[in-house]
Amino acid sequence: MSAYIIRRLWQMLPTMLGVVLLVFFIFNWVGGDPAYVLAGKISNQEQIDNIRRQLGVDQPYWVQLGIFLKQIVTADFGASWSTNERVSHILLTRLGPSLTVLVPLTILATLISIGLALAVAYVRGSFTDRMVMIVCTVGLSISILVYIIVFQYVFAYKLGWFPVQGWGDSFIQNLFVYASLPILIGLVVSIAPNLRLYRTFFLDEINQDYVRTARAKGVSENRIMWIHVLRNASIPIITFLMAELPGLLLGSFLIERFFSIPGIGREVILAVERSDFPVIKAITVYVAFATIATNLLADLTYKAVDPRVQLK
Amino acid sequence: MRRAFVILIVAFVATVSAHAADPNKVLRTVFPVAETGFDPAGVQDLYSATIEQMLFETLLTYDYLARPAKLVPLTAEALPEVSDNGKTYTVRVKKGIYFIDDPAFKGKKRELVAADYAYALKRLIDPKIRSPWAWLVEGKIVGLDELAEAAKKSGQFDYDAPVEGLTTPDRYTLQIKLRESDYNLPYILAHEPTSAVAREVIDTYRDVAGRAMSNPVGTGPYVLKQWVRSSKIVLEANPAYRGFTWDFAPGDAEDASIVATMKGKKMPQIGRIEVSIMEEDQARLLAFQNDELDLMNLEGPLAPNVLDGDKLKPEFVKKGIKLSRIVDPSIGYVYWNLQDPIVGGLSKEKIALRRAMAMAYDVDEEIRVVRNGQAEEVQYPVPPGVVGHDSHYRSPVRYDPVLANKLLDWFGYKRGADGYRNLPDGKPFTIRYASRPDSLGRQQDELWKKALDGIGIRMQVQKDRFPELLKLERQCKLMMRTASWIADYPDGDNFMQLLYSKYIGQNNNGCAKIPEYDALYEKAMKLPAGPERDRLYHDMARIIEVYAPWRLDTSTYRNMLIQPRVVGFRKHPILHAEWAYIDIAPANGNDVATGLGRRAAN
Repeated sequence: MSAYIIRRLWQMLPTMLGVVLLVFFIFNWVGGDPAYVLAGKISNQEQIDNIRRQLGVDQPYWVQLGIFLKQIVTADFGASWSTNERVSHILLTRLGPSLTVLVPLTILATLISIGLALAVAYVRGSFTDRMVMIVCTVGLSISILVYIIVFQYVFAYKLGWFPVQGWGDSFIQNLFVYASLPILIGLVVSIAPNLRLYRTFFLDEINQDYVRTARAKGVSENRIMWIHVLRNASIPIITFLMAELPGLLLGSFLIERFFSIPGIGREVILAVERSDFPVIKAITVYVAFATIATNLLADLTYKAVDPRVQLK
Repeated sequence: MRRAFVILIVAFVATVSAHAADPNKVLRTVFPVAETGFDPAGVQDLYSATIEQMLFETLLTYDYLARPAKLVPLTAEALPEVSDNGKTYTVRVKKGIYFIDDPAFKGKKRELVAADYAYALKRLIDPKIRSPWAWLVEGKIVGLDELAEAAKKSGQFDYDAPVEGLTTPDRYTLQIKLRESDYNLPYILAHEPTSAVAREVIDTYRDVAGRAMSNPVGTGPYVLKQWVRSSKIVLEANPAYRGFTWDFAPGDAEDASIVATMKGKKMPQIGRIEVSIMEEDQARLLAFQNDELDLMNLEGPLAPNVLDGDKLKPEFVKKGIKLSRIVDPSIGYVYWNLQDPIVGGLSKEKIALRRAMAMAYDVDEEIRVVRNGQAEEVQYPVPPGVVGHDSHYRSPVRYDPVLANKLLDWFGYKRGADGYRNLPDGKPFTIRYASRPDSLGRQQDELWKKALDGIGIRMQVQKDRFPELLKLERQCKLMMRTASWIADYPDGDNFMQLLYSKYIGQNNNGCAKIPEYDALYEKAMKLPAGPERDRLYHDMARIIEVYAPWRLDTSTYRNMLIQPRVVGFRKHPILHAEWAYIDIAPANGNDVATGLGRRAAN
């Protein structure tokens, strides 16, 4: 097991290097020269050159790339170009609000999707199954933007059940007051595709011989579905879930912007708008790292879920 | 013992009387863009500057109600004494003004002195700080540029070195000597980058760039109580603030009711200000309608939801919501690069080409389609609310595609087989219109394409990110672009300088070099505001119409929505925040903690 983990970690290096090169060259190609914005409304070439020198963007590309690699190794990405705030502080302070929304959302969405998917897979072909599938298809055809706009208008403004936006100082208040509507929207958006996907995983298992054997042996339907089918379908579910996790952190930027949640996704958009390369670099590298790490975690979880799986 | 007790009582009474703000009066407002920090020399965005105006103080400020904006003393005892034909300014700082307590002062009360302003001015030109406001002092104050040059060589700005043009003859007197006559210096002294900062504070909290972005320590009416970056800023009334009595003269009927309500009140009244950052239009408007906000700037895209023309819709009027509307002290204009081989130059056929394009563009359509009716056509390069503006001036440049076509025909821009015109020498040409890849940019592309197609001129859109456009613009490599300029200070000079040839590579974005214009500008900059300078500005406006380096288009409206409980609000054209001048009815049962708003709680 430990040899497997070490090998996988070693294999991360070329992937990370690819990400670093991609981020570096894309930013330098399309990012624009931040010195012209930072210099202010009225500035001369000398002032612009001074800013470029201080930011280090006047250096040859290979020197800048070397500095970038050093920043990754030391986990010190310096300070934001627009606010001078330490990048590490930006990430630490923005992570909490994002996780306050994403952790309960992911747990609830997974549990509800699994429960519903098991139920409709069990009654496959029935009127209920067909209706649920139609609702899911319609649901996932609608953009998240529409859900946000409609839910914010109806549930927050018209009905007054939730605040329109905001973020407080206490975790409990944030979780139960401010994050409730974003989580509800997240659930509506994610359950439809999850349910359809998980249903197919369960159907694959329901048609297997071991299910027929269990039924012939008189095992209860509840036990067949919740123990045997769920356990065997869990590997593709884990794969899907782990692949989704890092993306969720960034993908929630719309929800964070509309509900004024000071999270990572919103920070990424802000950094792109301000051409704030240190922040973009750090977030991209960490998300790439998180993606690789969750893939590894998924592989390890397979082994825990199904002892027949061999890690080579 | 008895004496100490009396001193304590006097100090207590003085504190109570100075601090009129009621902590139960909470003003909730919103920014559509995140702030960046609170170092007056270090930030350039409007929203950080808005907060800075509450935390720090400049020597001068603007009368709350006077229009056009009028300078008044803030921490200065009086307006500066001007001598030597506008080359020497002497200002005296009021005694007994104190910075808020801070560990940087090591437990001592720290009085505001003239040297704090001298230090703030020097910081603007310190190369290490790379202040976006260096231009406010660069090339102006005797001896200051030399100090900056020395700092570039040594890597260290010597703040203790004497500067001939920046002296403090005594603890409370600041004397500024300029290289040239400049009657705009008082405006600079009212601009928040020149706010007083204490050197001990900067030395304690500065980052590698020499800025103290996170530790604002000022003398202003409010202190920074809480700051969740890009999300929430909470200010509380400064308990040590000296306060002032609301006493402003009304300018019109709207002002009269404000004066009747506010006159004689000890200010500031509001004890706490909560600023939320909400980037999305819908979130801001719903939060305002849900009574989660007391004040909101209504951006253009939201206007059709709230306004019928220039009035609030009946449903908003019914709720008692008020509107304070001004024309922003800004101009929008399209410039042509006068150094470009196709559209540039001062020959007759080049002028004709630019004039034809100017006449082909329908500004009314832009106001209708792009600005949602929330703008007006600019007639004069100096916008309303700015000294030097002439409300009676009418530009002869108007939408007239028929005349534009005739002009091009007359100067030999003949149509080719494809229907598009060629240059007088028969060569084909294409206009490159540069714009940003956002929705406003796309709408403007379409309007200009339609305009130029209408007169048979080929147009291509040159899309680029804003920093790249700025770079190309400074290098005189763009052919044509829509730009805008908002007043840094409310004087016509801030606008007329935009075509002065010495500012090519800086803010003369069309790289215009028109000798007649330059000569008039050089004369005008030596004059104080008045009829003589106004006449020169008129002549310069006519030169713009004759040579057509620009097509003036719109000035946008600023619409502030105000909840009924807010008292005394009038949008100021230059001051970013009016919070210290207004009052608010105490909240009844407001559930501030949950943010559910007053409506939900009532």
